[in-house]
Amino acid sequence: MNFVRRSVLGIAAVSALALMSGLAAAAGEKITVITPYLAQPGTQFYVEAFQEKAKANGWEVNVVDTKGDVAAVISRLEDAANQKPAAIVINVDPSQVAAGLEAAKAAGVPVFGMDAGASPLLVTNVTSNGYSMAADTAAYVSNRINGKGNIVMFVFDAFPPVQQRGIIADAIFKNSPDIKVLDRVTPDVKDGGIADSRAKMEAILAANPDKGSISAVWAAWDQPALGALQAIEAAGRGGEGIVITGIDANPEARAAIGKGSNFEASMAQDFKGIGGAVADAVKRQIAGEKIVASVIYVPTRLITAANVGE
Amino acid sequence: MLKSFQTYGTLVCFFGLLLFFWVMLPGTFMTGRNLINISQQVSMLAVTAFAMTMVMAMGDFDLSVGSMASLAGIVAAVTFQLTGSVPLGIAAALLVGIAGGALNGFLVSYLGILPFVATLGTLTILSGTAFLVSGGKTIFGGDIPAGFSAIAKGGIPIWPIWSSVDQVLILPNLTIIAAIALFIIWFILQKMVFGRHVYAMGGNAEAARLAGINTRRTRLIAFCITGLGASIAGLMYAARVASANPTQGSGLMLDAIAAVFLGMTISRHGEPRVLNTLIGVLMIGILSNGLTQLSVDSYVRDILVGTIIIAAVAVGSVERLLRN
Repeated sequence: MNFVRRSVLGIAAVSALALMSGLAAAAGEKITVITPYLAQPGTQFYVEAFQEKAKANGWEVNVVDTKGDVAAVISRLEDAANQKPAAIVINVDPSQVAAGLEAAKAAGVPVFGMDAGASPLLVTNVTSNGYSMAADTAAYVSNRINGKGNIVMFVFDAFPPVQQRGIIADAIFKNSPDIKVLDRVTPDVKDGGIADSRAKMEAILAANPDKGSISAVWAAWDQPALGALQAIEAAGRGGEGIVITGIDANPEARAAIGKGSNFEASMAQDFKGIGGAVADAVKRQIAGEKIVASVIYVPTRLITAANVGE
Repeated sequence: MLKSFQTYGTLVCFFGLLLFFWVMLPGTFMTGRNLINISQQVSMLAVTAFAMTMVMAMGDFDLSVGSMASLAGIVAAVTFQLTGSVPLGIAAALLVGIAGGALNGFLVSYLGILPFVATLGTLTILSGTAFLVSGGKTIFGGDIPAGFSAIAKGGIPIWPIWSSVDQVLILPNLTIIAAIALFIIWFILQKMVFGRHVYAMGGNAEAARLAGINTRRTRLIAFCITGLGASIAGLMYAARVASANPTQGSGLMLDAIAAVFLGMTISRHGEPRVLNTLIGVLMIGILSNGLTQLSVDSYVRDILVGTIIIAAVAVGSVERLLRN
């Protein structure tokens, strides 16, 4: 019986594997994409756009999803480095996977970041410019209130990508002598940021009861903007013309902007553009070009009632 | 050890896989460097699975090992933030591991709650604690001392035996830690009276109790060892990624149980043996490594692991049916 058992298992496993490896028939340049976050919508957009361009270039792309496991990204980087593909693309904080990046470097395999964070171990990182996104919305606020009035800011300085948005908005508001920042609030984000931002905004509204005492709310991301909107509407002050802006243009924010509420503007990142730009960078590298820029920015877009439906 | 090396399907499958990847990946799979990579890649899972073997040998389960590993990493990182001391951080994490294991053991052996329910409860409690202590954030960068992450980077050079390829080969510290854990659990389960008690309870808990074994204390200690093992795995994980995140250990639990099950299909009477668990761990690691190198979709690994477990058990059942 053992012989039967042995044969059945051995043959089944090996033939299953042979079949699958046959599916991955060799084509052009091999590229490995490794991410722990494939289940997230943004990541799917990057990866699909990357694959589209890769197909046009005749590359063979292998997408590895470690399902939230960051240590597994290191392991898969080591495996991929062993196999020496033309390039590896990662979508995870490079400082957390430095061990794997060093293995790739030792093997001479270039690694590209897809909204990953800057690192000397990456050829380049393709992402959106947080500074310019904040500049666009802060300038929108400043222009909408004609450079005059009281502003509430929602910031989060503990997280570097959001912190850099805050300092740009600070600079723009400071540049208008008649704009006064009433409060620079750091909401508690444990519940996602909406509920606590609403509570904080309610307190600020209570402290400033007069019509026109608050001209605008600038938020470093969408959740506090949505919380502020809820507070303003619940207080019956939606008609005062308080201008609210966020960043990220998530579906909830788009809905609020589309309705013509106080939430007037947000910034959309071009996820597909990021995926495509990574493919372009890989192509340049394969062609032998030396990529100097350690970060490549893909343009973002101001979303208002005028273009939210597009 | 030789006894368990009887010819069984899972073992044939294991060597079949090795052979398959060796043939399909000439020059990159069966190299000293790649085998050492695999040993390091599976080291965290290995420690968790070895510890899991301890409770599964009693016929119990510990579903909380993944949360325990996450919490251990967080506790170490927060201690680093507060004190800057690597030994203190490691000690705090290990203490939390033993305490968590003791809680599981108390619930199961003294309150008599089913292990599945008790450890499902502690899974949730430990995970919630990890989120609470960390504020839900990933702790990384300057908060993690270089001396701690260096543990995962370092190792012992083992040239010149296998160094025909590129540079000097280094046996990673993580692999060494896993090997030590393997030896300790093997020694406890196979060489100590305590281990015989554990297996007796796995065979028939009531008979073991009537035979005079202090089953409550044995169970409590076994759960403590499992908790300690999970916290060691959590520390290894945190060192490897040089950061601590409140969910980072969660993938370890199911893979550890799968590894023990794969090992059980090799044992003569289907009981968990830690050396067989090692085969299970290696199968999972080899599949992940080999399939990545072959550019096969990573989800296929999960399907194969599950299929192998079911096939191995099913072949045994069919055999028994035919015999009767």
